[in-house]
Amino acid sequence: MDKYLNRGIKEVISEFPAIGPILDEYNIGCTLCGVGTCLLKDIVQVHNLQPEEERELMGRISGIVFPGRHVELSVTAGRSAASGKPEIKYSPAMQGLVDEHAVIKRVLAMVPVIIEGLDASRDEDRTLVRDTVDFIRSYADRYHHAKEEEILFKEFDENLEMVKVFNEDHRIGRGHVKAVLEALETGDNRTIQEHFMGYGELLTGHIKREDEVLYPWMDRNLSTSQIGRLFSRFASVDGQFRDVREKQEAFVKTLEEKYKHEEVK
Amino acid sequence: MAFEGCPGSKMAYFPRNVEQEGAPAANVTSQLRQWPVQLHLVSPMAPYFQGADVLLSADCVAYALGNFHSDYLKGKALAIACPKLDAEQDIYVEKIKGLIEDAKINTLTIMIMQVPCCSGLLKLAEQAAQTANRKVPIKYMVVGVQGEILQEAWV
Repeated sequence: MDKYLNRGIKEVISEFPAIGPILDEYNIGCTLCGVGTCLLKDIVQVHNLQPEEERELMGRISGIVFPGRHVELSVTAGRSAASGKPEIKYSPAMQGLVDEHAVIKRVLAMVPVIIEGLDASRDEDRTLVRDTVDFIRSYADRYHHAKEEEILFKEFDENLEMVKVFNEDHRIGRGHVKAVLEALETGDNRTIQEHFMGYGELLTGHIKREDEVLYPWMDRNLSTSQIGRLFSRFASVDGQFRDVREKQEAFVKTLEEKYKHEEVK
Repeated sequence: MAFEGCPGSKMAYFPRNVEQEGAPAANVTSQLRQWPVQLHLVSPMAPYFQGADVLLSADCVAYALGNFHSDYLKGKALAIACPKLDAEQDIYVEKIKGLIEDAKINTLTIMIMQVPCCSGLLKLAEQAAQTANRKVPIKYMVVGVQGEILQEAWV
Protein backbone atom coordinates (compact mmCIF):
# COMPACT_ATOMS: atom_id res chain seq x y z
CA MET A 1 0.00 0.00 0.00
CA ASP A 2 2.99 2.28 0.60
CA LYS A 3 3.39 2.83 -3.13
CA TYR A 4 -0.14 4.31 -3.25
CA LEU A 5 0.40 6.43 -0.13
CA ASN A 6 3.44 7.93 -1.86
CA ARG A 7 1.69 8.69 -5.15
CA GLY A 8 0.11 11.97 -6.30
CA ILE A 9 -3.62 12.12 -5.56
CA LYS A 10 -4.64 12.83 -9.16
CA GLU A 11 -2.82 9.70 -10.28
CA VAL A 12 -4.48 7.65 -7.53
CA ILE A 13 -7.97 8.97 -8.38
CA SER A 14 -7.29 8.42 -12.06
CA GLU A 15 -6.49 4.74 -11.41
CA PHE A 16 -9.25 4.31 -8.80
CA PRO A 17 -12.00 6.85 -9.62
CA ALA A 18 -14.19 5.61 -6.73
CA ILE A 19 -11.71 7.19 -4.28
CA GLY A 20 -12.66 10.72 -5.42
CA PRO A 21 -16.24 10.72 -4.05
CA ILE A 22 -15.00 9.10 -0.82
CA LEU A 23 -12.52 11.95 -0.27
CA ASP A 24 -15.37 14.41 -0.98
CA GLU A 25 -17.37 12.83 1.87
CA TYR A 26 -14.56 13.78 4.26
CA ASN A 27 -14.40 17.34 2.84
CA ILE A 28 -11.06 16.55 1.20
CA GLY A 29 -11.63 18.44 -2.01
CA CYS A 30 -8.84 16.94 -4.15
CA THR A 31 -11.22 16.07 -6.98
CA LEU A 32 -11.53 19.81 -7.72
CA CYS A 33 -7.77 20.45 -7.63
CA GLY A 34 -6.28 21.30 -10.99
CA VAL A 35 -2.81 20.10 -10.05
CA GLY A 36 -3.25 17.03 -7.86
CA THR A 37 0.39 16.22 -7.20
CA CYS A 38 0.03 16.11 -3.38
CA LEU A 39 0.80 12.65 -2.05
CA LEU A 40 -2.10 10.58 -0.73
CA LYS A 41 -0.41 10.21 2.68
CA ASP A 42 0.16 13.98 2.96
CA ILE A 43 -3.45 14.71 2.06
CA VAL A 44 -4.83 12.44 4.76
CA GLN A 45 -2.35 13.77 7.33
CA VAL A 46 -2.83 17.43 6.56
CA HIS A 47 -6.61 17.28 6.98
CA ASN A 48 -6.12 16.34 10.64
CA LEU A 49 -9.02 13.90 10.77
CA GLN A 50 -10.14 12.34 14.02
CA PRO A 51 -8.23 9.03 14.45
CA GLU A 52 -11.43 6.99 13.98
CA GLU A 53 -12.34 9.00 10.86
CA GLU A 54 -8.88 8.44 9.45
CA ARG A 55 -9.09 4.69 10.12
CA GLU A 56 -12.48 4.55 8.41
CA LEU A 57 -11.27 6.57 5.40
CA MET A 58 -8.11 4.54 4.95
CA GLY A 59 -10.13 1.32 5.33
CA ARG A 60 -12.44 2.41 2.52
CA ILE A 61 -9.53 3.43 0.30
CA SER A 62 -7.70 0.14 0.86
CA GLY A 63 -10.99 -1.67 0.11
CA ILE A 64 -10.96 -0.07 -3.34
CA VAL A 65 -7.27 -0.56 -4.01
CA PHE A 66 -7.23 -4.16 -2.73
CA PRO A 67 -10.81 -5.45 -3.04
CA GLY A 68 -11.53 -8.44 -0.86
CA ARG A 69 -8.32 -8.07 1.14
CA HIS A 70 -7.88 -6.63 4.61
CA VAL A 71 -5.04 -4.12 4.57
CA GLU A 72 -4.29 -2.13 7.73
CA LEU A 73 -2.84 1.27 7.02
CA SER A 74 -2.42 4.51 8.83
CA VAL A 75 -0.58 7.66 7.89
CA THR A 76 -0.62 9.19 11.36
CA ALA A 77 0.05 6.16 13.54
CA GLY A 78 1.12 7.18 17.01
CA ARG A 79 -0.67 10.51 16.94
CA SER A 80 -2.45 11.21 20.20
CA ALA A 81 -6.15 10.44 20.14
CA ALA A 82 -6.69 13.80 21.81
CA SER A 83 -5.30 15.64 18.81
CA GLY A 84 -8.56 15.39 16.89
CA LYS A 85 -9.88 17.96 14.47
CA PRO A 86 -10.00 21.23 16.37
CA GLU A 87 -12.13 24.26 15.71
CA ILE A 88 -10.04 26.41 13.37
CA LYS A 89 -8.34 29.14 15.34
CA TYR A 90 -5.48 30.78 13.52
CA SER A 91 -2.28 32.25 14.88
CA PRO A 92 -2.12 36.06 14.58
CA ALA A 93 0.18 35.72 11.54
CA MET A 94 -2.19 33.40 9.68
CA GLN A 95 -5.27 35.36 10.77
CA GLY A 96 -4.01 38.33 8.75
CA LEU A 97 -3.88 36.20 5.59
CA VAL A 98 -7.38 34.84 6.29
CA ASP A 99 -8.64 38.42 6.66
CA GLU A 100 -7.14 39.27 3.25
CA HIS A 101 -8.92 36.24 1.80
CA ALA A 102 -12.19 37.71 3.06
CA VAL A 103 -11.56 40.86 0.98
CA ILE A 104 -10.61 38.83 -2.12
CA LYS A 105 -13.70 36.61 -1.72
CA ARG A 106 -15.95 39.69 -1.81
CA VAL A 107 -14.65 40.43 -5.33
CA LEU A 108 -14.80 36.78 -6.42
CA ALA A 109 -18.45 36.68 -5.34
CA MET A 110 -19.16 39.51 -7.79
CA VAL A 111 -17.33 37.99 -10.80
CA PRO A 112 -20.52 36.42 -12.26
CA VAL A 113 -22.38 39.76 -12.17
CA ILE A 114 -19.35 41.67 -13.45
CA ILE A 115 -19.11 39.51 -16.57
CA GLU A 116 -22.85 39.17 -17.19
CA GLY A 117 -23.65 41.08 -20.36
CA LEU A 118 -20.10 42.44 -20.51
CA ASP A 119 -19.44 44.46 -23.66
CA ALA A 120 -15.77 45.29 -24.24
CA SER A 121 -16.71 47.97 -26.77
CA ARG A 122 -18.25 50.09 -23.98
CA ASP A 123 -15.89 52.39 -22.07
CA GLU A 124 -17.67 51.72 -18.77
CA ASP A 125 -17.22 47.95 -19.12
CA ARG A 126 -13.60 48.29 -20.22
CA THR A 127 -12.89 50.42 -17.12
CA LEU A 128 -14.62 47.85 -14.90
CA VAL A 129 -12.51 45.02 -16.33
CA ARG A 130 -9.30 47.04 -15.91
CA ASP A 131 -10.20 48.03 -12.33
CA THR A 132 -11.01 44.44 -11.39
CA VAL A 133 -7.76 43.23 -12.93
CA ASP A 134 -5.94 45.98 -11.05
CA PHE A 135 -7.47 44.66 -7.80
CA ILE A 136 -6.40 41.11 -8.63
CA ARG A 137 -2.89 42.09 -9.62
CA SER A 138 -2.13 44.63 -6.90
CA TYR A 139 -4.09 43.28 -3.89
CA ALA A 140 -4.56 39.55 -4.46
CA ASP A 141 -1.23 38.95 -6.21
CA ARG A 142 1.49 41.50 -5.48
CA TYR A 143 0.32 42.02 -1.88
CA HIS A 144 -1.31 38.78 -0.66
CA HIS A 145 0.20 36.02 -2.81
CA ALA A 146 3.66 37.59 -2.57
CA LYS A 147 3.40 37.37 1.23
CA GLU A 148 2.82 33.65 0.84
CA GLU A 149 5.44 33.00 -1.82
CA GLU A 150 8.21 35.21 -0.50
CA ILE A 151 7.67 34.86 3.25
CA LEU A 152 5.29 32.12 4.44
CA PHE A 153 6.21 29.30 2.06
CA LYS A 154 9.92 29.97 2.66
CA GLU A 155 9.44 28.67 6.23
CA PHE A 156 8.73 25.24 4.71
CA ASP A 157 10.49 22.91 2.33
CA GLU A 158 9.84 24.39 -1.09
CA ASN A 159 9.98 20.90 -2.59
CA LEU A 160 6.93 19.89 -0.56
CA GLU A 161 4.22 18.92 -3.05
CA MET A 162 1.61 20.92 -1.15
CA VAL A 163 3.62 24.12 -1.43
CA LYS A 164 4.20 23.46 -5.14
CA VAL A 165 0.46 22.99 -5.67
CA PHE A 166 -0.46 26.32 -4.10
CA ASN A 167 2.31 28.09 -6.03
CA GLU A 168 1.01 26.47 -9.21
CA ASP A 169 -2.49 27.86 -8.49
CA HIS A 170 -0.95 31.35 -8.32
CA ARG A 171 0.75 30.78 -11.67
CA ILE A 172 -2.44 29.53 -13.34
CA GLY A 173 -4.34 32.51 -11.89
CA ARG A 174 -1.82 34.92 -13.43
CA GLY A 175 -2.39 33.20 -16.77
CA HIS A 176 -6.16 33.81 -16.53
CA VAL A 177 -5.61 37.49 -15.74
CA LYS A 178 -3.16 37.93 -18.63
CA ALA A 179 -5.69 36.29 -20.97
CA VAL A 180 -8.44 38.67 -19.76
CA LEU A 181 -6.33 41.71 -20.64
CA GLU A 182 -5.32 40.30 -24.04
CA ALA A 183 -8.96 39.58 -24.86
CA LEU A 184 -9.91 43.08 -23.75
CA GLU A 185 -7.54 44.50 -26.37
CA THR A 186 -9.21 42.48 -29.13
CA GLY A 187 -12.72 43.03 -27.77
CA ASP A 188 -13.30 39.28 -27.31
CA ASN A 189 -16.12 39.28 -24.73
CA ARG A 190 -16.45 35.51 -24.56
CA THR A 191 -12.77 34.98 -23.73
CA ILE A 192 -12.86 37.70 -21.09
CA GLN A 193 -15.84 36.00 -19.47
CA GLU A 194 -14.27 32.53 -19.62
CA HIS A 195 -11.01 33.62 -18.04
CA PHE A 196 -12.68 35.74 -15.35
CA MET A 197 -14.84 32.74 -14.41
CA GLY A 198 -11.80 30.46 -14.57
CA TYR A 199 -9.95 32.77 -12.22
CA GLY A 200 -12.94 33.01 -9.86
CA GLU A 201 -13.40 29.25 -9.64
CA LEU A 202 -9.68 28.61 -9.24
CA LEU A 203 -9.21 31.14 -6.47
CA THR A 204 -12.41 30.23 -4.63
CA GLY A 205 -11.21 26.64 -4.25
CA HIS A 206 -7.65 27.77 -3.56
CA ILE A 207 -8.74 30.05 -0.70
CA LYS A 208 -11.01 27.39 0.80
CA ARG A 209 -8.15 24.88 0.84
CA GLU A 210 -5.79 27.42 2.36
CA ASP A 211 -8.25 28.50 5.06
CA GLU A 212 -9.38 25.02 6.00
CA VAL A 213 -6.31 22.90 5.38
CA LEU A 214 -3.02 24.61 4.54
CA TYR A 215 -2.97 27.41 7.12
CA PRO A 216 -4.12 25.22 10.05
CA TRP A 217 -1.49 22.65 9.06
CA MET A 218 1.19 25.33 8.83
CA ASP A 219 0.12 26.75 12.20
CA ARG A 220 0.52 23.31 13.74
CA ASN A 221 4.02 22.99 12.31
CA LEU A 222 5.41 26.46 13.02
CA SER A 223 7.10 27.30 16.31
CA THR A 224 5.96 30.27 18.40
CA SER A 225 9.13 32.07 17.39
CA GLN A 226 8.47 31.47 13.68
CA ILE A 227 4.92 32.82 14.10
CA GLY A 228 6.41 35.95 15.69
CA ARG A 229 8.82 36.46 12.78
CA LEU A 230 6.08 35.93 10.21
CA PHE A 231 3.78 38.36 12.03
CA SER A 232 6.50 40.98 12.06
CA ARG A 233 7.40 40.54 8.37
CA PHE A 234 3.73 40.59 7.34
CA ALA A 235 3.27 43.80 9.34
CA SER A 236 6.17 45.32 7.44
CA VAL A 237 4.56 44.38 4.08
CA ASP A 238 1.22 45.77 5.33
CA GLY A 239 2.98 49.08 5.93
CA GLN A 240 4.51 49.12 2.44
CA PHE A 241 1.13 48.34 0.85
CA ARG A 242 -0.98 50.71 2.97
CA ASP A 243 -1.99 52.84 -0.04
CA VAL A 244 -2.77 49.78 -2.17
CA ARG A 245 -4.90 48.29 0.60
CA GLU A 246 -6.86 51.50 1.11
CA LYS A 247 -7.40 51.99 -2.61
CA GLN A 248 -8.48 48.41 -3.28
CA GLU A 249 -10.68 48.07 -0.21
CA ALA A 250 -12.45 51.23 -1.36
CA PHE A 251 -12.81 49.68 -4.84
CA VAL A 252 -14.47 46.59 -3.32
CA LYS A 253 -16.96 48.79 -1.44
CA THR A 254 -17.73 50.75 -4.60
CA LEU A 255 -18.25 47.53 -6.52
CA GLU A 256 -20.59 46.18 -3.86
CA GLU A 257 -22.56 49.40 -3.76
CA LYS A 258 -22.82 49.47 -7.56
CA TYR A 259 -24.23 45.96 -7.83
CA LYS A 260 -26.43 46.25 -4.78
CA HIS A 261 -27.79 49.42 -6.37
CA GLU A 262 -28.49 47.62 -9.66
CA GLU A 263 -30.15 44.72 -7.86
CA VAL A 264 -32.55 47.15 -6.18
CA LYS A 265 -33.38 48.68 -9.59
CA MET B 1 -23.58 24.01 48.23
CA ALA B 2 -21.09 24.65 50.97
CA PHE B 3 -18.49 27.36 50.49
CA GLU B 4 -15.18 25.62 49.86
CA GLY B 5 -12.90 28.63 49.93
CA CYS B 6 -10.63 30.14 47.32
CA PRO B 7 -9.60 27.58 44.67
CA GLY B 8 -6.24 29.32 44.49
CA SER B 9 -5.37 28.40 48.07
CA LYS B 10 -7.50 25.28 48.57
CA MET B 11 -5.37 22.39 49.78
CA ALA B 12 -4.77 19.44 47.47
CA TYR B 13 -2.37 16.52 47.75
CA PHE B 14 -1.08 14.37 44.88
CA PRO B 15 0.99 11.54 46.34
CA ARG B 16 3.55 10.21 43.85
CA ASN B 17 5.23 6.85 43.79
CA VAL B 18 8.80 8.06 43.47
CA GLU B 19 10.20 4.54 43.02
CA GLN B 20 7.90 3.79 40.09
CA GLU B 21 8.68 7.10 38.40
CA GLY B 22 12.39 6.34 38.60
CA ALA B 23 15.29 8.57 39.42
CA PRO B 24 15.45 11.96 37.69
CA ALA B 25 18.07 12.38 34.99
CA ALA B 26 21.24 13.65 36.58
CA ASN B 27 22.41 17.22 36.00
CA VAL B 28 19.46 18.54 34.01
CA THR B 29 20.72 21.70 32.35
CA SER B 30 19.03 24.94 33.31
CA GLN B 31 17.59 26.87 30.37
CA LEU B 32 17.57 30.15 32.28
CA ARG B 33 19.81 32.64 30.49
CA GLN B 34 19.35 35.83 32.52
CA TRP B 35 19.03 37.35 35.97
CA PRO B 36 16.88 38.80 37.51
CA VAL B 37 13.58 37.23 36.54
CA GLN B 38 10.94 38.84 38.78
CA LEU B 39 8.86 41.31 36.77
CA HIS B 40 9.40 44.16 39.26
CA LEU B 41 13.15 43.67 38.96
CA VAL B 42 13.64 43.23 35.23
CA SER B 43 14.13 46.10 32.82
CA PRO B 44 12.53 46.01 29.36
CA MET B 45 15.76 47.61 28.16
CA ALA B 46 17.85 44.58 29.20
CA PRO B 47 19.70 43.10 26.22
CA TYR B 48 18.21 39.65 26.67
CA PHE B 49 14.70 41.03 25.99
CA GLN B 50 15.55 42.78 22.71
CA GLY B 51 13.66 41.03 19.88
CA ALA B 52 13.21 37.98 22.12
CA ASP B 53 10.50 35.41 22.52
CA VAL B 54 9.43 36.25 26.07
CA LEU B 55 7.84 33.91 28.57
CA LEU B 56 5.79 35.65 31.27
CA SER B 57 5.11 32.95 33.79
CA ALA B 58 3.04 32.91 36.96
CA ASP B 59 5.29 32.05 39.91
CA CYS B 60 3.79 28.61 40.54
CA VAL B 61 4.06 27.33 36.96
CA ALA B 62 7.70 26.26 37.12
CA TYR B 63 6.96 24.11 40.19
CA ALA B 64 3.92 22.43 38.64
CA LEU B 65 5.50 21.59 35.27
CA GLY B 66 8.13 18.88 35.43
CA ASN B 67 9.56 19.85 32.04
CA PHE B 68 9.37 23.62 32.44
CA HIS B 69 13.00 24.30 31.53
CA SER B 70 13.33 21.95 28.55
CA ASP B 71 9.93 22.47 26.92
CA TYR B 72 8.84 26.00 27.81
CA LEU B 73 11.74 28.15 29.02
CA LYS B 74 14.27 26.99 26.42
CA GLY B 75 15.09 29.76 23.96
CA LYS B 76 13.04 32.38 25.76
CA ALA B 77 13.68 35.37 27.99
CA LEU B 78 11.76 35.12 31.26
CA ALA B 79 9.73 37.29 33.61
CA ILE B 80 7.74 35.91 36.53
CA ALA B 81 4.96 37.41 38.62
CA CYS B 82 2.05 36.52 40.86
CA PRO B 83 -1.17 38.34 39.98
CA LYS B 84 -2.68 37.40 43.33
CA LEU B 85 -0.01 38.43 45.80
CA ASP B 86 2.24 40.96 44.08
CA ALA B 87 1.77 44.68 44.80
CA GLU B 88 1.79 47.65 42.41
CA GLN B 89 0.62 45.75 39.38
CA ASP B 90 0.13 48.95 37.38
CA ILE B 91 3.93 48.86 37.09
CA TYR B 92 3.60 45.40 35.54
CA VAL B 93 1.35 46.80 32.82
CA GLU B 94 3.96 49.45 32.00
CA LYS B 95 6.76 46.87 32.02
CA ILE B 96 4.91 44.57 29.61
CA LYS B 97 4.10 47.55 27.41
CA GLY B 98 7.80 48.42 27.48
CA LEU B 99 8.68 44.90 26.36
CA ILE B 100 6.32 45.18 23.41
CA GLU B 101 7.21 48.73 22.37
CA ASP B 102 10.80 49.30 23.44
CA ALA B 103 12.33 45.83 23.52
CA LYS B 104 10.37 45.00 20.34
CA ILE B 105 9.93 41.44 21.50
CA ASN B 106 9.05 38.81 18.88
CA THR B 107 6.34 36.99 20.84
CA LEU B 108 4.89 36.94 24.34
CA THR B 109 3.83 33.65 25.91
CA ILE B 110 1.86 33.83 29.15
CA MET B 111 1.81 30.74 31.34
CA ILE B 112 -0.69 30.70 34.17
CA MET B 113 -2.07 28.14 36.59
CA GLN B 114 -5.63 26.87 36.29
CA VAL B 115 -6.75 28.62 39.48
CA PRO B 116 -9.05 31.60 38.76
CA CYS B 117 -6.85 34.27 40.38
CA CYS B 118 -4.03 33.44 37.96
CA SER B 119 -5.99 34.71 34.96
CA GLY B 120 -5.16 38.18 36.30
CA LEU B 121 -1.70 37.85 34.73
CA LEU B 122 -3.22 37.30 31.30
CA LYS B 123 -5.48 40.33 31.83
CA LEU B 124 -2.46 42.49 32.70
CA ALA B 125 -0.75 41.40 29.49
CA GLU B 126 -3.88 42.06 27.42
CA GLN B 127 -4.21 45.50 29.00
CA ALA B 128 -0.59 46.29 28.15
CA ALA B 129 -0.99 45.01 24.58
CA GLN B 130 -4.09 47.10 24.01
CA THR B 131 -2.32 50.30 25.00
CA ALA B 132 0.90 49.52 23.14
CA ASN B 133 1.40 51.13 19.73
CA ARG B 134 3.03 47.98 18.41
CA LYS B 135 1.34 44.60 18.02
CA VAL B 136 2.91 41.29 18.92
CA PRO B 137 1.56 37.71 18.88
CA ILE B 138 0.49 36.67 22.38
CA LYS B 139 -0.09 33.08 23.33
CA TYR B 140 -1.36 31.78 26.65
CA MET B 141 -1.11 28.40 28.28
CA VAL B 142 -3.06 27.20 31.30
CA VAL B 143 -1.30 24.69 33.52
CA GLY B 144 -3.12 22.26 35.81
CA VAL B 145 -2.04 21.89 39.41
CA GLN B 146 -0.74 18.41 38.61
CA GLY B 147 1.48 19.67 35.82
CA GLU B 148 -0.62 19.12 32.72
CA ILE B 149 -1.25 21.69 29.97
CA LEU B 150 -5.00 22.29 30.05
CA GLN B 151 -5.28 24.95 27.40
CA GLU B 152 -3.08 26.62 24.80
CA ALA B 153 -4.32 29.37 22.49
CA TRP B 154 -3.42 32.63 20.79
CA VAL B 155 -4.94 35.74 22.31
